[in-house]
Amino acid sequence: MSDLAISTLPAEVTRKRSAIGSLRLIQTASILVIALVIVSPLLMLIVASLKDDRFQILADMGSFRAFWVPNPTLANFAEVGNLSGELAFGRYLLNSLFILAATVGAGLIVNSMAGFVLAWGSLRGRALILSLVIALYVIPQESIIMPLVIMVSRAGMTDTFAVQIVPWIASPLYIFLFYQFFAQLPKELFEAAEMDGASVFRIYRSIFLPLSLPALATVSILMGIETWNQYLWPILVTQTAYARPIAVAIATFFGQDSIYWDRAMAASVLMMLPILALYLAFQRWFVSSFVGSAVKG
Amino acid sequence: MGNRLLSMLMASAVLGGIAEAKTVIHVMHQGDPGWVSTYGEVAKRFEAANPDVDIELIYAPHDAYNEKFSAAVMSKQLPDVMELDAPFLANYVWSGYLQPIKPLIDQDIVGDMTASNIAQGTYPVDKELYAVGLTDSSVVLYGNRKYLEAIGARIPKGVDDAWTREEFEGYLQKLSKLEGVKWPIDTFRGYGIKTEWITYAYGPILQSAGCDLIDRKTWKSTGTLDSDACVDALTMMQKWVKNGWVVPQSSGTNQFFAEGHPAALALGGHWFYAEAAASMKDDIVVMPLPKFGPKGASPNGTWIWGITTASEHPDIAGKFVSFMLKDKQLREHAKETSGYPGLKSFAADSPLYAAGGPMAVAFEQASTTAVARPPHPAYPTITSAFMGAVDEIFNGGDVKAALTAAAEKIDEDIEENDGYPPFDEQQ
Repeated sequence: MSDLAISTLPAEVTRKRSAIGSLRLIQTASILVIALVIVSPLLMLIVASLKDDRFQILADMGSFRAFWVPNPTLANFAEVGNLSGELAFGRYLLNSLFILAATVGAGLIVNSMAGFVLAWGSLRGRALILSLVIALYVIPQESIIMPLVIMVSRAGMTDTFAVQIVPWIASPLYIFLFYQFFAQLPKELFEAAEMDGASVFRIYRSIFLPLSLPALATVSILMGIETWNQYLWPILVTQTAYARPIAVAIATFFGQDSIYWDRAMAASVLMMLPILALYLAFQRWFVSSFVGSAVKG
Repeated sequence: MGNRLLSMLMASAVLGGIAEAKTVIHVMHQGDPGWVSTYGEVAKRFEAANPDVDIELIYAPHDAYNEKFSAAVMSKQLPDVMELDAPFLANYVWSGYLQPIKPLIDQDIVGDMTASNIAQGTYPVDKELYAVGLTDSSVVLYGNRKYLEAIGARIPKGVDDAWTREEFEGYLQKLSKLEGVKWPIDTFRGYGIKTEWITYAYGPILQSAGCDLIDRKTWKSTGTLDSDACVDALTMMQKWVKNGWVVPQSSGTNQFFAEGHPAALALGGHWFYAEAAASMKDDIVVMPLPKFGPKGASPNGTWIWGITTASEHPDIAGKFVSFMLKDKQLREHAKETSGYPGLKSFAADSPLYAAGGPMAVAFEQASTTAVARPPHPAYPTITSAFMGAVDEIFNGGDVKAALTAAAEKIDEDIEENDGYPPFDEQQ
């Protein structure tokens, strides 16, 4: 019956259907290839972390053996998971987690407050301040890093957790992101709350902040990645193992004469997990925020 | 209860006072996990022997050591003791960061230093010793015995017997056609241009060919680095790369002893021996660097220890350096990693480098062909300009143009610093 129905379809419709089918196949294949390209470095990293011969890891790099481990071992993870000793990588991971949580936590509060005041506050010269904030964003971190090192060392902050957190809490980018988000919310929300006698802080905390989950998620992820990947700054301002983050500790494996790929890979996997968890936790709002930004133009 | 609290407070104040009375010595260093652990253990042993001293180790990754040092200088937080790469010594002394170390360390250590070790730690202007190391370094030519026998290559017995340029290039040609050989030589391009490798290992090829990175009397690079001899030497190396004879940068640093032994020769550091020999056993042959011109040349110099001018306790800093250089466990670790002796007592305890030992030829090079990298304050610019030029040449750039640009860059730096007085008077 159905064969008969298909055979009675005009030839043009059949051709169109066949073309659509081919297009979908090409689309699916393309998506698969792109996904494979994106995932393959992560896969290679995980596979390498399960090999115990650092020279074999290097030898396998140029072939498909990089994606296959015949005798997997967790020995590398055992070596980099220690919490004490001269190279306490487990401890450095905890240091990094603390720095991440404190920077992102404080960053969300400070930047959202600043963004809110710039969008709805009664501060004079808001437009000028906003322009200055945007102007600050274009100054690269590298150009101010040495003066900043001198400042923090004069303030006696060297080799502390604070020195890795405080300078990076307030950020022109995130202030601007929050400003943009808050400015798009309806004016009536602010006015109604004001008429009810709510203070500016109350309006921020009880009305605008709960509505800004996509912005909070976006800033959490972007700020988290930025904080987690800090390398040069902690090298310059930390001295001992006390507040050393994992990114600096991993560099130990890249020695003068040898590179310890096995342990470097295991430590990299451990380093990757928290930021991956952060992304997975916030990805729904993160994506919706980006989609929203695109729609609103 | 109140009395108890008061006594506890008093006790903690007294203990706090004792803690504060300790002298803190800051020691800045680099190194892989093995060395980081070893330095930590040495510091603990020193503290146990000197209870009134605290050693605070400041670690900086190898690749970011210069940035860390610059930050320490700018923030006026120089450590008491610092590890430094020997060719940078002239720059650090000229800038006023290091103080003479000879009066601060045990005199038996000074007498124990090899000539090459003294040379790498001496500032050429006042001829004073500013740094000392347990180890030194060299580069040799490693060969795969099976491949060399297959092409009928002559195995040199010592430095005088080294391959000539014609022999060497002839063997590269033959090896390129030998079954099983993917690349005739690994020159360790895999170390990249962020490390000192290019200047350290390829510089002696220029010196052997009859030229240098800079004229060591006039301290001018133009006319020396871009001379015919240097252009010829780097054109020769560019040819090796173009012919596909050299392991590419992307293939890492272990193709000599990787599965299947794809590289037949390796122009490698002394540190390469331990890992290569463990994998290749009797198949490894250690040979002197070839003579590319009238004389042989080999590199020297490594990471050594100096005491900064910022140290408030240079005597204690010197005591720590002496303690560390004599530490048995530290020497054991250096031996395990085939450490190249910079102290005679360490050499006597290192059968690897003794006469008849597998790396004897490497130690022989130290007293016969070793040439230090230019001991000049402009060295950071010299090495950076030269490495950039070699990278450009290996990627197919014009040899003469690349070397001339590098030489001009070096001369510009020296001119901008008024010749780095008193180096401008040393002609």
